[in-house]
Amino acid sequence: MLELRNITKIYNPGEVTEMTLFENFSLSVKKGEFLSIVGSNGSGKTSMLNIICGSIPIEKGEILIGGKNIVGIPEFRRYDRIGRVYQNPAMGTCPSLTITENMALADHKGKKFGLSRGVTKSRIGEYREMLASLGLGLEDKMDIRAGALSGGQRQAMALLMTTMTPIDFLILDEHTAALDPKTAELIMELTGKIVAEKKLTAMMVTHNLRYAVEYGDRIIMMHKGGIVFDRCGEEKKQTTVQDLLGLFTEISIECGN
Amino acid sequence: MTVFLNTCITFLQSGFVFALIAMGYYISYTILDFPDMTVEGTFLSGAVAYGLLVSHGINPWLGLILAFIVGLLFGTITGLLHVKLKIKPLLCGILVSTLLISVNLVAVTAGLYGDFAGESSAMIPFGRDLETLTAVFPINLIPNKIGIVSGLRDLVLFLVMVVVFKLLLDAFLKTKCGLLLRAAGDNAQFVTTQAKDAGNSKILGLGIGNAYAAVAGALYTEISGNVNQSMGIGMVVIGLASLIIGLSVFSRVHRMKATTKVILGAIIYQACLTIAQRLGMPSAYNKLIMAIIFTIALVLSERKKVKTKATKQPNGKESANHA
Repeated sequence: MLELRNITKIYNPGEVTEMTLFENFSLSVKKGEFLSIVGSNGSGKTSMLNIICGSIPIEKGEILIGGKNIVGIPEFRRYDRIGRVYQNPAMGTCPSLTITENMALADHKGKKFGLSRGVTKSRIGEYREMLASLGLGLEDKMDIRAGALSGGQRQAMALLMTTMTPIDFLILDEHTAALDPKTAELIMELTGKIVAEKKLTAMMVTHNLRYAVEYGDRIIMMHKGGIVFDRCGEEKKQTTVQDLLGLFTEISIECGN
Repeated sequence: MTVFLNTCITFLQSGFVFALIAMGYYISYTILDFPDMTVEGTFLSGAVAYGLLVSHGINPWLGLILAFIVGLLFGTITGLLHVKLKIKPLLCGILVSTLLISVNLVAVTAGLYGDFAGESSAMIPFGRDLETLTAVFPINLIPNKIGIVSGLRDLVLFLVMVVVFKLLLDAFLKTKCGLLLRAAGDNAQFVTTQAKDAGNSKILGLGIGNAYAAVAGALYTEISGNVNQSMGIGMVVIGLASLIIGLSVFSRVHRMKATTKVILGAIIYQACLTIAQRLGMPSAYNKLIMAIIFTIALVLSERKKVKTKATKQPNGKESANHA
């Protein structure tokens, strides 16, 4: 489904601060896989997601989706088949647009934004149902601006909106990190539900090792631009949070921290 | 009484005209957060395009349409400079309004005398024999003077234009394209993840904003009686001041559409200026007063922002006054 082949990424090339993050980095993700990605800060997790989505350029390598190389395709076009939820809940919605308007935008993803009515009246009922399924009471506030909602509510909406239209990939970039524990739990449950229902291929970066173990079919740990740990199937089922934590500590000691 | 009524008509006339610039700024400044300096140039370009057509005896309604297109075109150039060449907003506007000084000058001299050299004083006079908007159908059905009140034709014409352009803008902002434009100003990354190029929306927004300014320029010729090269000066301040005054004075009126607030803002601003003039302020001080009133409006609107932030409730019903 997705394949990264021999990716090389250098930050600030030619300058004193030049830093090679990836050198011949490769990774492949199977269709329908829920991949959890863990690793310390600066290990390249978010950079990898940014490379897949085209938010940052690469020096060398291929990114294949369904066998097609997408390097060179601009960022916004790649989102035709990719959905992404960010760490910052404000990124996933438009604060000065109402909930309904936000939903209408997401509902129309991939189509032409012409001069027809922005919010299709006949769809509102469906939006209300979808919002009601979140159980956050948003269905009663549909004419309120999204900016007036709490972080958790916005993140739930972002998740819902990203998966409203058919996508191949769901990219979750520490999407529970900015939320309180209870809300994070709620969003994570919702994520699991949506991914299972829509049979999505998901890549989730997280610092929460429990979520990584609980929700992922496969777990990788990244360190300094490489994969130091990769388990799936039976092997993954036997992996515990303690194992991951142990490995984390080991790496830290290696680095002399 | 006569003086009072005529004063009212004067500021209403100019208020309606400048409301068009302010509505343009509602798109570029409020929605897209782009301080667009291009307006100084496109205001005059609109007037030039209109003036040239009218002075050659062509139907003024066509002149108005041409003004709109010219504004759209140069606004688009500003947008392209910003989006494609990554030039900063302020500089894009300054660049395009500077190049427009030449363009407007050459257009006037070439259009009137067939001479491309351009002369700094080139202007298009609007004599009585010209078929301007107030002289053609259907505005000529309105008597220009009833009793002691004069200038009625202009007033009605401008009012109709403002209402039409306001309704068009309101309708546009509710379309899919308009929704995407508002989203692009709000959260460009969101538009990207919707698989759309946020840059295109920005370019379109700047185009429309300047088209509105150009139409204002064309209408203003009816007041000024000519098209002269200094017409555009101060239009950035007039437009932004009207916008900010309107939005901050009526910030608590949630039921009112933003475009309505902006029009009222333009009228308030013109009323202040006209009153200052009628109180005996020499016209040389015009721009000084303009700047002072704008400063006051800015300070007041900032104060208000701080206040509302402090008193805002967590789930505050600060609802949809944006469309």
